[in-house]
Amino acid sequence: MSTVNKRWRGVAKLVTDAVEHGSRAVERIQKETAQRPFGILEMIPGVAVPARVVHVLHDVTVSGVHGAIRLVTRVVDGGVGVAFDLAESESHEDGSDPRRGEPTQSSS
Amino acid sequence: MGRKLENALGILNGTIGDYLARTGNGLATPMTFVHDGAPMAVRRDVLARAYPDATSRVVVLLHGIMCTETVWTLPEGGDYGAFLARDFGLTPLYIRYNSGLAIADNGVAFADLLESLINEWPVPVEEILLLGFSMGGLVARSACHVASGERYHWLPRVRRAIYVGTPHLGAPLERAGRTLTKVLRAVGDPYARLVAEIGDLRSLGMKDLGDANLRHEDRAPGRAALALRDARHPVPLLPSIQHYLVAGSLAVHPQLAALFGDALVPLASGTNGLRASSGTLALPPGHVKVLADMGHMTLAHHPHVYAQIREWCEASR
Repeated sequence: MSTVNKRWRGVAKLVTDAVEHGSRAVERIQKETAQRPFGILEMIPGVAVPARVVHVLHDVTVSGVHGAIRLVTRVVDGGVGVAFDLAESESHEDGSDPRRGEPTQSSS
Repeated sequence: MGRKLENALGILNGTIGDYLARTGNGLATPMTFVHDGAPMAVRRDVLARAYPDATSRVVVLLHGIMCTETVWTLPEGGDYGAFLARDFGLTPLYIRYNSGLAIADNGVAFADLLESLINEWPVPVEEILLLGFSMGGLVARSACHVASGERYHWLPRVRRAIYVGTPHLGAPLERAGRTLTKVLRAVGDPYARLVAEIGDLRSLGMKDLGDANLRHEDRAPGRAALALRDARHPVPLLPSIQHYLVAGSLAVHPQLAALFGDALVPLASGTNGLRASSGTLALPPGHVKVLADMGHMTLAHHPHVYAQIREWCEASR
């Protein structure tokens, strides 16, 4: 694999990782932040039961949205990987230099 | 474009390079010798082609964290390696590495690379001069420590090592960052914890700079967890090598200069404690030079620094 391809794959992987970890962190924060008001409401008689229902719905929705974000990111990452594989195999079949497009590096 | 890209990757590697390496990311920079800006295999034919005038004495230059070998280039052109070649006939060899890896890991990789070098260098290697900037100096020390405990044939060939802006006793900015993330975690607020988590994403290499950890065991859990003071370094400078230290100072007032040093490395750390305690001098005073009005990054490419390096090299010829 050429250095350029390896690096492009690295960029795609890094973006995927960032979205994955970022989404998990934001999901956790959203749930923890919501826990405070819901926790208070769930201690009040009469409101506790509906508050509990809304709390569960809220958490499920948050998990669903972030799960979808991560899923789409993984699908796109997989697609990008396949595209890289195809591009690389085509360049080999063409007999072209896989190192073509290597970044020009200057002297130190 | 190429040089800018490599510099950007140098910054990325310094920041999260350990993560990149751990996850097999193609952006992770492997440790290599670099010639004319391109990585170079350590093979006799490659080396002979790249260095047709290879000499038996070489100088190996190690850059600092978040840098590449381009950090050595002076604004007016040239670098310490090229000047040492001109003035002393040393062949300059530049290292590029993932500065986000633990210093101990880079030390082992560097020790292995030097072993390959002396086996493949076109002429027998008589002397290796190590020249490290900032973290590069710690990587050199770590490699020497590794080589002193195992069978490496390059170590006896190292007579001199020059450290430029190297935090021998650690970097207080990193220790402050470590303290801040601990405090943020202790707050208990989810947003504060998120900021702490983002802060903790910084690389192992960067964290190692806090206490200048040269070995994995130096990074014992709980050690100096909230300490802002220098840790006393458990790995001494090897007595078989002549060590020379250059430290920078931005402030004019002596106390401010001692505290802030070159803005990143305090004088006590840059001089391996020479300024902190005159009773425990690890090196002859003549082996330590503090240059005034010199910021950290400037130390890697300044004529005054080279003048000092040249003076030491002439004196220890």
